[in-house]
Amino acid sequence: MQRFFTLSALTLLIGAVVCTGGKSASAADEYDYDLVHSSVSFKARHLDISWIHGRFNDVAGKFSLDRENPSKSTFSLTIKTDSVDTANAARDEHLRQPDYFDTKQFPTIEFKSTKTKAIDGGYEVAGDFTMHGTTKKITIVLTGGKEHDFKGTKRVAFSTELPLKRSDYGFDPKAIGPIGDEALIIIDCEGVRK
Amino acid sequence: MPEPLLYLKAMGAAAIVSAMFVLAMAGVRRPASTARINSACVLGIGLGLAVGYCVLPLRLRWPPVNGLDRFLTIVVPAALTVELIAGFQCVPCWVAWLLRMSLAATIPRILLHGSVYLSGSGNDWTLWQAGAALAVCGALSAGLWGLLSWLSQRSPGVSVPWALSLTIQCAGLTVMMAGYIKGGAAAFPLAATLVATTLGASLITKRLGRPENFVAPAILGIGVVGSFGLLFIGRFFGRLSTGCALAMLLAPLLCWATEVPLLRHRKPWFVGSIRLVLVAIPLVVVLVVAKRDFDRNMVPLLGKAPASIFCLHREDRSR
Repeated sequence: MQRFFTLSALTLLIGAVVCTGGKSASAADEYDYDLVHSSVSFKARHLDISWIHGRFNDVAGKFSLDRENPSKSTFSLTIKTDSVDTANAARDEHLRQPDYFDTKQFPTIEFKSTKTKAIDGGYEVAGDFTMHGTTKKITIVLTGGKEHDFKGTKRVAFSTELPLKRSDYGFDPKAIGPIGDEALIIIDCEGVRK
Repeated sequence: MPEPLLYLKAMGAAAIVSAMFVLAMAGVRRPASTARINSACVLGIGLGLAVGYCVLPLRLRWPPVNGLDRFLTIVVPAALTVELIAGFQCVPCWVAWLLRMSLAATIPRILLHGSVYLSGSGNDWTLWQAGAALAVCGALSAGLWGLLSWLSQRSPGVSVPWALSLTIQCAGLTVMMAGYIKGGAAAFPLAATLVATTLGASLITKRLGRPENFVAPAILGIGVVGSFGLLFIGRFFGRLSTGCALAMLLAPLLCWATEVPLLRHRKPWFVGSIRLVLVAIPLVVVLVVAKRDFDRNMVPLLGKAPASIFCLHREDRSR
């Protein structure tokens, strides 16, 4: 009997240590970008009277969320420019050319966070945004961050909108033509915990 | 959007500046030697290009980030430098050709730097494929350079540099119609400055009383590098097909057709005209094909189906 209690106590002790250790190790949860339930879309002015909508179909990314210490959270996103899709194959091909995305030279658009701050309803994330060979420091506001456990897999989602000027990223202003300089990138990202 | 008037202005400015510079430089000290004319041509082309690209204006980034930036900030200045060095009388012929062939071999690597073809980020090429493609392209440009120089030595005249200018001009239009406006626009000042420099240098040679000896290796070298570079960029970064690019690149070699005994000993103006006509034939065919493809590609972008455009034309006629 005494042996049984000793073993039980040891099991509990080891379990507690493992749990405590495990908790501290997983304080920052790692998530992968879920391509099925996420989207990176954009819209740009056409002739200054309407909007052209499009999306990028090939996106990858990951983020780590540290709820206790949000400044340790990190976010990264990689968009394949070749996957541009505006529901018009000829226009997509045109957008892949060097006057626009130049996908053979700049195959990706990337964002890597450098600083994260928790705000009401989400996070304020500063980072390096690289597009068309130009890197700029930007700050985005990620709204959301609610967790949901779906069939044993933890999921978290964020949304953001990023207005930018294409001429700031080395796009030739002469090639902008009927498509406006300003564009809006809309990111809705759902992460699946690793 | 293409701006034809601006392109004409840039061409005019580049042509005037380079021709005036060549005439002024060669006329400063008489008699002008071949080496002096060659150096004047190199500097004239460089100055003409600088002015032409300022007029366009072609925004280039340093350090260069894309193929066109690398072509205009590294490859063209390197070609000018090589031709300037090669033009000095103290430089042995084999050294000049070593420099030229080294440049020809490295141009493809320079232009593809950092692209998906070499970075391995895409699935475009394996290491072996990349190596083979670079070697073939390098050999192609070196071969073209060698053959045209040989022809220029055998049968001097303005026709070979003008054939190259014609090729560059048509390459620019084709690259533009293939969807790369900025890349195509870069060709126009280059073509104009080559025509003007050739004209200026040939006038000086004529005034010296030896028009039959007109050989300006610098114009030829820069023309070969220019046509190769533009077509290479159009093929690998734009939508220019391999067939069209090769047809345009190799078109100046048709100048060799006048070396057949039947034509060889004809008057220089006749031989020159035949050469230009022969070179123009494949170039016009490629331009027609490019225009047809451009029209076909533009229809979906204008938001009209081909049938509806046809109907519109018919309606206009019936009115």
